Amino acid sequence: MIVQNIFFWVLALAMVLGAIGVVRSQNVVHAALYLVVVMAGAAAQYILLAAEFVAWVQVIIYIGAVIILFLFGIMLTRAPMGGDTKLDNDQRWPAAVVSVFLAGVLGALLIDAFGKKEIVISGAKGEQLLQVGKAGHLADSIFTAYVVPFEVVSILLLAALVGAVVIARRD
Amino acid sequence: MNPGWDFHAIAPVIIITATIVAVLIADFFFEYRGRFRTQQIASLGVLAAMIPIITLAVDGGTREMFNGGFVVDPYSLVFQGFFLAAAYISMLLSVDYIGDGDYYQGEFYVLLLTSVLGMLVMSSARDLISIFVALETISIPTFVLAGWRKHDPKSNEAAIKYYLIGVMSSAVMLYGMSLVFGLTGSTLLSEIADKVRTLDSPLLIVAGFLTIAGFAFKVSAVPFHFWAPDTYEGAPTPVTAFLSVASKVGGFVALLSVVWFGFSPNSAMFQPVLWGLAAASLILGNLVALRQTNIVRMLAYSSIAQGGFILVPFAVASDGGAWTSSIQSVVIYTLIYGAMNLGAFAIVIALARRTRSAEITSFAGLGQYAPGMAIVMSMFLFSLAGVPPFAGWFAKFTMFRAALDANTPAATVLAALAAVSSVIAFFYYARVAREMWFHQPPEGADVHPIRTPVALNAAVVICAAIVIAVGVYPQLFARLGDLAAGG
Repeated sequence: MIVQNIFFWVLALAMVLGAIGVVRSQNVVHAALYLVVVMAGAAAQYILLAAEFVAWVQVIIYIGAVIILFLFGIMLTRAPMGGDTKLDNDQRWPAAVVSVFLAGVLGALLIDAFGKKEIVISGAKGEQLLQVGKAGHLADSIFTAYVVPFEVVSILLLAALVGAVVIARRD
Repeated sequence: MNPGWDFHAIAPVIIITATIVAVLIADFFFEYRGRFRTQQIASLGVLAAMIPIITLAVDGGTREMFNGGFVVDPYSLVFQGFFLAAAYISMLLSVDYIGDGDYYQGEFYVLLLTSVLGMLVMSSARDLISIFVALETISIPTFVLAGWRKHDPKSNEAAIKYYLIGVMSSAVMLYGMSLVFGLTGSTLLSEIADKVRTLDSPLLIVAGFLTIAGFAFKVSAVPFHFWAPDTYEGAPTPVTAFLSVASKVGGFVALLSVVWFGFSPNSAMFQPVLWGLAAASLILGNLVALRQTNIVRMLAYSSIAQGGFILVPFAVASDGGAWTSSIQSVVIYTLIYGAMNLGAFAIVIALARRTRSAEITSFAGLGQYAPGMAIVMSMFLFSLAGVPPFAGWFAKFTMFRAALDANTPAATVLAALAAVSSVIAFFYYARVAREMWFHQPPEGADVHPIRTPVALNAAVVICAAIVIAVGVYPQLFARLGDLAAGG
């Protein structure tokens, strides 16, 4: 268990630093690249949780598609790319206070609720737990218990596409 | 594995999905001048989806699918019927506005119907994942609809504000839901209810708070309301009508499902938060509405205040007898609110076709040159204020009954607040009526009688008929409330 814990803390620290980089960066492109660190960290965390399929989906969709789309969006529009425009505003100190407060409260409550829990991965129960992360199990739940939300999401994506065309079209 | 499909039970959802695809394909084939036919296809689809709802209601009983994640029972059928009716009336309001304004027509109805699809799924969803997906399906198309007047900066502002607030509230809600899942180990509301009964953790309170805060953004409850007036003012008025009725009630259904089926055994998870939201919405919504000079902004604050009235029964409900009258009250109030608010917006749209203005002063002298419109508008306004014999009084009556049934000091205080707010609300509704009946039309205004399109007239007639019929014979909706509450 020690090894997993060390990996968890290393990844978690990298994610937190990446996340701070996203909001601190004066350059939109840098912010998007910092976001890659956060997303990759999340993918690695999924692997620690023995959910390989979700981890790879995270890599393909978030790093492979979403971030690339961000970069293309920045490139194709006239968004400020250099550091000449200030992305900060006057409210950064109140915002910092609120974030630290929220992180403190939620962190304390999370430790209070889950701090002493341990995940058992040995024996029959552990075997069952490991199965949950497998792609087959995931496919079963998507196409049985969650088939309605799954199908509704596809219609939602269709509508989002239509909406994007309406907004982007020059007329 | 067989997921256990029951095609009769999900027929309304399938019909709306098929209509979305049909509108999208048909739009491609119609010539430019024939685009209005997309509205006819969409309306027919909505009416067709009513049929299985009626057959399911006649059939009665409860149909569960997917381990109880998707349930068709009287509760969901009442709301599905309401959403389809509200969608139909919204389309009647839109057809001339969208046609005359030379906006995209087919796409408009595709997005509107997608939002309705989300509402239908929401009514049946008993699972956090389904509820989240349904809520996003309700919201995302409306972000685009709010910005439909692409060349108007106000409409752009409306869409951007709505989008940013909507996305943020989803994130807050999702975080709350993830905590609920972490603590209870299930996304099914029935299993969550079993777990929260015995679970005693401060994190659970925070999880409930975050989840409810997300919904509070969607229903624009104070202090999460600040997007609503700007979005309502900037969006095309038919879209505003749809947002303030269908989309808002969608948020209330989500809230009701999660609180009733999920959190109800542990009242600390929702009661203090909802009490605060209800009290703040009642006070702030009504006081700020008094100061508005634009009718759409006034109706926006009025809808925030009406949302406060709908929240009152939530806030006082607790384990035991008070739940039944609370559910009845929420259902009845939302149904009546839908009819009277859509009606009021229909008149605003009809008048704005002439005056091109949404200022309250543009209503001056309406009673002289368009008495029919002025009479109907006064009716909707007095109904919103809760004056008998219009339906609004019954909505308020059930709300007070729920608060008195609960019979706790907190409930009594809230009922007193609601009573005071009702009196304040009367002033701003009556102000519009005074403008219509006791003021002269402005100099040089066009005072010929107003001709309104057939579709708008139909919408007004439907809403007016409901407002009068339910006001005189409230048992019509009371029965629906009983059914939804499982009586």
